[in-house]
Amino acid sequence: MLKKLILTALCTSGAFAQTPAIDWDQQKAEILRHYRALVQLDTSNPPGNETRVVEYLKKVLEDEGIPTKTFALDPKRANIVARLKGNGSKKPLLILAHSDVVGVQREKWPVDPFGAVLKDGYIWGRGTRDDKPILAANLMVMLLLKRGNVPLDRDVIFLSEASEEADTTGVGINYMLAQHFDDVDAEFSITEGGGATLEGNKVTIVNIGTAEKVPARIRLIANGTSGHGSIPRLDNAVTHLTAAVEKVGTWETPMRLNDTTRSYFEKLATISSPEDAARYNSLLNPKTAPAAERYLAEHDPSRYSMLRTSIVPTMLKAGIGPNVIPSEAEATIDVRALPDENVPQFFAEMTKLIGDPAVKIAPLPIAHPPSPPSSVNTEMYRILEQVSKKMYPGVTVLPTMTTGSSDKAQLRAKGMLSYGIGPYASEADTAQYGAHGDVERLLESSLYNFVEFDWNVVTGVAAKK
Amino acid sequence: MRFFGFLLLSAATLVAQPKAIDWGQQQAEILRHFRALVQIDTTNPPGNETKAVEYLKKVLEDEGIPTQTFALDPNRTNLVARLKGNGSKRPLLIMAHTDTVGVQREKWPVDPFGAVLKDGYVWGRGTTDDKDKLVAVLMSMLLIKRSGAVLDRDLIFLAESGEEADPTGVGIRFMADNHFDQIDAEFALSEGPGATMVNGRVATVQITTTEKIPRRVRLVANGTSGHGSIPRLDDAVTHLSGAVQRVGTWQTPMRLNDTTRTYFEKLAAISSPEKAARYNDLLNPQRTAAAQRYLAEFEPIHNSMLRTSVVPTMLKAGIGPNVIPSEAEASIDIRTLPDEDIPQFMAQMTKVIGDPAVKIEPLYATRPAAPPSGLDTEMYHALEHAANRIYPGSTTLPTMLTASTDMAQLRAKGIQSYGIGPALSSDDFANHAWHSDVERIPEASLYKFVEFTWNAVNEVAVRK
Repeated sequence: MLKKLILTALCTSGAFAQTPAIDWDQQKAEILRHYRALVQLDTSNPPGNETRVVEYLKKVLEDEGIPTKTFALDPKRANIVARLKGNGSKKPLLILAHSDVVGVQREKWPVDPFGAVLKDGYIWGRGTRDDKPILAANLMVMLLLKRGNVPLDRDVIFLSEASEEADTTGVGINYMLAQHFDDVDAEFSITEGGGATLEGNKVTIVNIGTAEKVPARIRLIANGTSGHGSIPRLDNAVTHLTAAVEKVGTWETPMRLNDTTRSYFEKLATISSPEDAARYNSLLNPKTAPAAERYLAEHDPSRYSMLRTSIVPTMLKAGIGPNVIPSEAEATIDVRALPDENVPQFFAEMTKLIGDPAVKIAPLPIAHPPSPPSSVNTEMYRILEQVSKKMYPGVTVLPTMTTGSSDKAQLRAKGMLSYGIGPYASEADTAQYGAHGDVERLLESSLYNFVEFDWNVVTGVAAKK
Repeated sequence: MRFFGFLLLSAATLVAQPKAIDWGQQQAEILRHFRALVQIDTTNPPGNETKAVEYLKKVLEDEGIPTQTFALDPNRTNLVARLKGNGSKRPLLIMAHTDTVGVQREKWPVDPFGAVLKDGYVWGRGTTDDKDKLVAVLMSMLLIKRSGAVLDRDLIFLAESGEEADPTGVGIRFMADNHFDQIDAEFALSEGPGATMVNGRVATVQITTTEKIPRRVRLVANGTSGHGSIPRLDDAVTHLSGAVQRVGTWQTPMRLNDTTRTYFEKLAAISSPEKAARYNDLLNPQRTAAAQRYLAEFEPIHNSMLRTSVVPTMLKAGIGPNVIPSEAEASIDIRTLPDEDIPQFMAQMTKVIGDPAVKIEPLYATRPAAPPSGLDTEMYHALEHAANRIYPGSTTLPTMLTASTDMAQLRAKGIQSYGIGPALSSDDFANHAWHSDVERIPEASLYKFVEFTWNAVNEVAVRK
């Protein structure tokens, strides 16, 4: 392992002449120290309290001579920006991570969720996957760039943002982009929303997030006459609502691939079993697509969601008492639109499908704006690909449209080309111990490796050539 | 006092001649008891029906009528009083419940427990459910006792607690299970929808002879939980919705019984030609579908009399807007026809749902199944006679109640039970009757109803 790391560092320094070689083994203790400290700061959102993390980062960065600026709409929920100046020949690179985490159900944890406990080769804790490895990696990259005095063609901007998990009050990315855009404006940004797949002890796939679906949640509201449960009414709001929910919940919206998803399935086919490969390829042919879609719907729902705008009923609410017909019934539907979906037109189609004037569609506030996919024909994407191939020989790099949404949507909407990255994990680990899981953990080796990946990418795109 | 002496005399000589009572003279006493009972707050929960029982006990015992009280919970007593007959016929039970449903005070223009007299009405919670019946059966006891009449059968008075909701079984269940010998009878009179006034005249008098049986169920769908961005074919919310939609629009088979057949026939006889044709069409195989569709849309209560009804009332699912929950559930209010074969009905419903991901969970059955009470009984005829006498020109309609009452327990024990009530306008029915935001009764209807009740009781119980 040690030999391989030195070799990688050497290769990297060879490729980018002005970047110093790093002895990664020597960095482990510091990486682990910062990472554990960040996980141990409880920033469960709500309430967030991300200022705790900002104070830590501020001290570490300033002790190193890197100036910082904090921005806070709510004093408990600060954002922090640090900038290493480049020579201005290229536009800046923004490296960002969010400092909040989702909550925990303590009874489900075998260890303290904020202990950052080391056990069985893993670091356990809330945020160990989402998003503190990226935060720690970005911090280390800043420190190493500064210590190495690395000449830069572009500014590297570090941003630790509050409240990515739920930003109802707009204290995080919305606040930064609306009020302090100058401080974070960049050509490219990298953040969460990608990752690498570990099979055995080999990384076989690196996913780079280049696009994401647009959340377009709605409520369906049915109205009818209230009355006694012993007297059936044709306009029963509960019955009308459920008819509408069943229709939209089983609606097969049209499949539509974009550059990212087409390239994703093509590349995925080249590394899949013959059976899977045939299925992915058949998606590209309108004649054979339906059977493949049906298969994915049943056996691989997250890839199925990449094919189309998805409609997922998640909540139902109706009722005053078991013997009272309520005058209103409502459902919440989680809609994730393809990036190019014409949302008003889509809702008009949905209204037609429901075909019931007693049921209204009420769009909910949209947390993330529609955003164009970020191109795979950019310097940033090429570097991501190169670094992946260099660090993980034989790996396949897949541009990915995430079905969930992230703060990249806001960045892309502002014109920044934004790419999602992440540490490696086995599929089983991601399924059971991934982001928002009951229990979250990260392989210790993956943490170190990801810092190196991040360093290689940042220096690849920002260091003076 | 002189009046009572006269009454006693006439009762002894002219047995079973209701004319002997000067009803104008009774109004003050009727109103006094009625207002006193309405002013006793017996909102259930918690009930506190013992407060009403204490009042009744004193009134009855002051009159020389012995009482017995039965309480599973000391705050929720039931009271029984019996006037002995000569035993030639089996007893008549006259009963009413002492509890009321709750109030939302902000909706009341007057004190809901004030029994305020205003605009010809007595206003207050319980004025139509059920303190009107309570005072009618109380007055019947007092008047028959004062008359000294010889009874062919025991007359049993029961004031029962916990009718509106009886999760702890303090009311009719306690009496039927533990003290049935105290209330066992051939016939019973209890609450029903009563009579309808059109333009101030009583047009129809409904006598409930049977009622539908509540058989509530929960539908529970299970699926895989997950993130809202990833659709799943086994989404519990979608599966539940499909099932609710199918049962909510399921047209269960129409089936008339003696009561409802007579009801629609008699209703046709007094309805406009158009309506009459529709009611008659129900029995015509060629035309029944259209008639049923019309009733489903415009006369839903009549539709409910035709069939077991399946009414979705509640939905519950969800952890967050972006999380697919592993479970979703709905409450369905089912009111079956009295003769419905419940297990077979549930099996049919399972077929209608047609989805193994959705289970039917029957909820606790509060009412037993019971056969309808007969239309050709001494009691039913007496009620018909009383209706003709008190409300001349009215039509008596035997009725199947789509809701349920404590008569279910009595009928299940073999007591032929009939539901009665005072005369209300259709507007008062719709807006000011049982369980409505604001409850009230026309003062005149109250007096007439006491007279009606006394007439029926007198005919069935007093020796001829």
